[in-house]
Amino acid sequence: MTPLTEQQPTLQLSVREVFGIDSDLTVPAFKERDEHVPEIDPVYRFNADVTLAILAGFSRDRRVMVQGLHGTGKSTHVEQVAARLNWPCVRVNLDGHISRLDLVGKDAVVLKDGQQVTEFQPGIVPWALERPVALVFDEYDAGRPDVMFVIQRVLERDGKFTLMDQNRVLRPHPYFRLFATANTVGLGNLNGLYHGAQKLNHAQIDRWNIVASLNYLPADEEAAIVLARVPSMDNDKGRALVRSMVAVADLTRKGFAAGDMSTLMSPRTVITWAENVEIFQDTARAFRLSFVNKCDEAERSIVAEYFQRCFDLELGESYALGGQVA
Amino acid sequence: MSQAQALARHQQRVEELCAASIRALSAQVDLHFRGRRLHRGQKVLPLFAPHLHPALESADFASFRGAADGLALRLRLSDGALHQELCPSDPVARLVFELLEQFRVEALVPDTMPGVRRNLHHCFNTWAQAFHDGGLTDGVSGMLMFAVAQVCRARVTNEQILEQFEDMLESARGDLSGLIGAQLAVLRRARHEQAHYAVHALAIAAAVAGRLQDLVAQAGQSQASGENDAVSAFALLMDIQGELTERFATAVSGRSRVLEAAGGGYQVFTTAYDSQRDAASLVRKDLRLEYRERLDKRIREQGINLMRLSRELRALLALPAIDGWDGGQEEGQIDGRALAQLVVSPTERRLFRLQRVEPRADCVVTFLIDCSGSMKQHIETLAVLLDVFVRALELAGVSSEILGFTTGAWNGGRAHKDWLAGGRPEHPGRLNEVCHMVFKDADTAWRRARPDIAAMLKADLFREGVDGEAVQWASSRLYARTEERKLLVVVSDGSPMDSATNLANDGHYLDHHLRDVVQAIESGGRIGIYGLGVGLDLSPYYSRSHVLDLEMATANQLLREIAMLIGSRAQR
Repeated sequence: MTPLTEQQPTLQLSVREVFGIDSDLTVPAFKERDEHVPEIDPVYRFNADVTLAILAGFSRDRRVMVQGLHGTGKSTHVEQVAARLNWPCVRVNLDGHISRLDLVGKDAVVLKDGQQVTEFQPGIVPWALERPVALVFDEYDAGRPDVMFVIQRVLERDGKFTLMDQNRVLRPHPYFRLFATANTVGLGNLNGLYHGAQKLNHAQIDRWNIVASLNYLPADEEAAIVLARVPSMDNDKGRALVRSMVAVADLTRKGFAAGDMSTLMSPRTVITWAENVEIFQDTARAFRLSFVNKCDEAERSIVAEYFQRCFDLELGESYALGGQVA
Repeated sequence: MSQAQALARHQQRVEELCAASIRALSAQVDLHFRGRRLHRGQKVLPLFAPHLHPALESADFASFRGAADGLALRLRLSDGALHQELCPSDPVARLVFELLEQFRVEALVPDTMPGVRRNLHHCFNTWAQAFHDGGLTDGVSGMLMFAVAQVCRARVTNEQILEQFEDMLESARGDLSGLIGAQLAVLRRARHEQAHYAVHALAIAAAVAGRLQDLVAQAGQSQASGENDAVSAFALLMDIQGELTERFATAVSGRSRVLEAAGGGYQVFTTAYDSQRDAASLVRKDLRLEYRERLDKRIREQGINLMRLSRELRALLALPAIDGWDGGQEEGQIDGRALAQLVVSPTERRLFRLQRVEPRADCVVTFLIDCSGSMKQHIETLAVLLDVFVRALELAGVSSEILGFTTGAWNGGRAHKDWLAGGRPEHPGRLNEVCHMVFKDADTAWRRARPDIAAMLKADLFREGVDGEAVQWASSRLYARTEERKLLVVVSDGSPMDSATNLANDGHYLDHHLRDVVQAIESGGRIGIYGLGVGLDLSPYYSRSHVLDLEMATANQLLREIAMLIGSRAQR
């Protein structure tokens, strides 16, 4: 097997064949599967817009940021595209405590020939920069904006990276790629959902060439995703059930937009719900365990209304069961 | 009273849930109920169809759900402008056209929402049953309308007519199939396209209106009561608003012609006798102490969880703010003072300090109490609540004021006498001695204000009320405060009332002014204003309001409700 640093994409794959998207594009892909290539999830469903944006990132060396509400599968999207291209992919989860040293590298004490010596250990950025690796910054907006300036130059297409500790200038590998996913677009926690999201520097946001938005999908697509995840429901009865579940999720999102709810159901919640239906064999109970109990008590009767609309069943929290005039 | 209060609370709960469902189903944000009518922002929406307005006491919750779903579907699936443009001018034809458009959207319920379909079905049939039970189908015209509604809905939505109506409608159906059969046949197929559907709907509406005219003409010849019968049938169908105001405990409010006509806006005849008084100057000291004892006794009996309330208020009103440093941390910024420690014990790791973040409430809450005569019966319970609430606010670091408003005299007092002496000039504006009272101001601590708060219990303070000016006064006091967040809670059990002003101007002079004042404050955005109705729905005045049922609920629950109101997210 060729060492990672020397690998190059040699294949050209048709987007139509591999991703089922109606487009004549072809994308470069690797022949060998390195250990850093993610596992393929055979039932993963690609969203056409976002997939094309990510593919542009891979084939044309664009910096792509995927923004979207939680549970929409942003990070998985990048990972699954990489998996199908055999492109090594490394995910880094950012948080408020990631420092410059973590990203760039630091001097560490290592044992060499039985002697303790200090040696420079490169951080994740210089490591990835010299390899044909797709580096994904997850929760990009959780990183502290002052620290994130470290990658400012790398964001430019052929931006070199200076290691000041070593007086060395790194030239990025031609097949190095950079992606980021975030819940917000760097304007901070506006809707109260994403505690800990930072306001990002817009000089940096500006350097991302492509910002793809992955918000909630059309109901049919979402139902298809759920069915792909929970194949035991793929019969007439199950399909109707899943469609109603997606309809409830949609109502919670509309309610969230109107300020009636402070939580909403992500596609991930719907999948969990479907899985819990499998376990408990009871739609209402599974709904309670996967979503209702996450809601504020005052909002549960509203959730009960949404549930009644889509299932024609009363949830225990419903006003109809206990709220008649005394 | 307690029944009325319970009903008002039931109504509020139902409306909250229904409005939330409507917002979610229609995907439109700024919808809410005010005075039982659906509003978008400040604008009232049309009634759409008669069956979408179930009566509060008699209808069950499922009917309200159906009505809400009907409204939501109408807002989402029907183009209001197009509908308005096509709407015929003849009232009967318009009614039929409205009904048919409503049936169209009801037929478009997605398959994923069986509950919506059932709610709509239930709501319509309940309405039909009430219509029938009310004897409105006895006359020929009532029967015609009933049959049109039943047959058209069955056709458009493809749902069965209820069994009990089948026989009754037998002959009317045959009659209708001759009249509108051809149009009916295409109606369901056209349901996905409003414009196409409207062509057939208009034809049906015109045919029905024509038939009704014939029937009324015939009846006019044979029996005189025919006309009345038709009129009464449509009174129920169309004039829904007229009945509502009397039936429910909703604040009655209207527009004042005098105020609208007056170029200079709201006027005050004379301010010479207006006063602002401290509680101390209203009630003598030993009486205040006596009232205080009475109040303390009641508070003790309630078993109120003060600490919990104050914690809740802190969570609602406080925001995190930086407040000094915490030393001895394992991470953060290096604390210079700890370096000596490092020299002494190199393994010591707690050398850092972090900024401390504490919740801090930069907030002031004003309670403005309507001290009109009718409030006398509630004031003791209210005083208990406010006293506890103010104390809890103080524990949470929020400053608060308790203000009251009444008039200096009954029936206009000296201002009225001056007006009479001046030869009764027309439309004098507000005509009474306004009295504004301060029971506790924001700078006085609760402990010091204790006897003054108890002064509320003095019964002869309660006279009449000029709400608009009082709200202005309270808000001007708030504007002068430095706190970032300013909240004004108006506690009232009725519309503004001053008999002299109402007689000299017109009946709605004061409440029109109150609405203008509240709207100005709401759109100004610097003060959050809330209406707290004592057994009364104040939604005609305040876009954020809550009904308190003082007799039914326990003090802890009432306090929680007030806290929820204050903490409620802004409704658009």
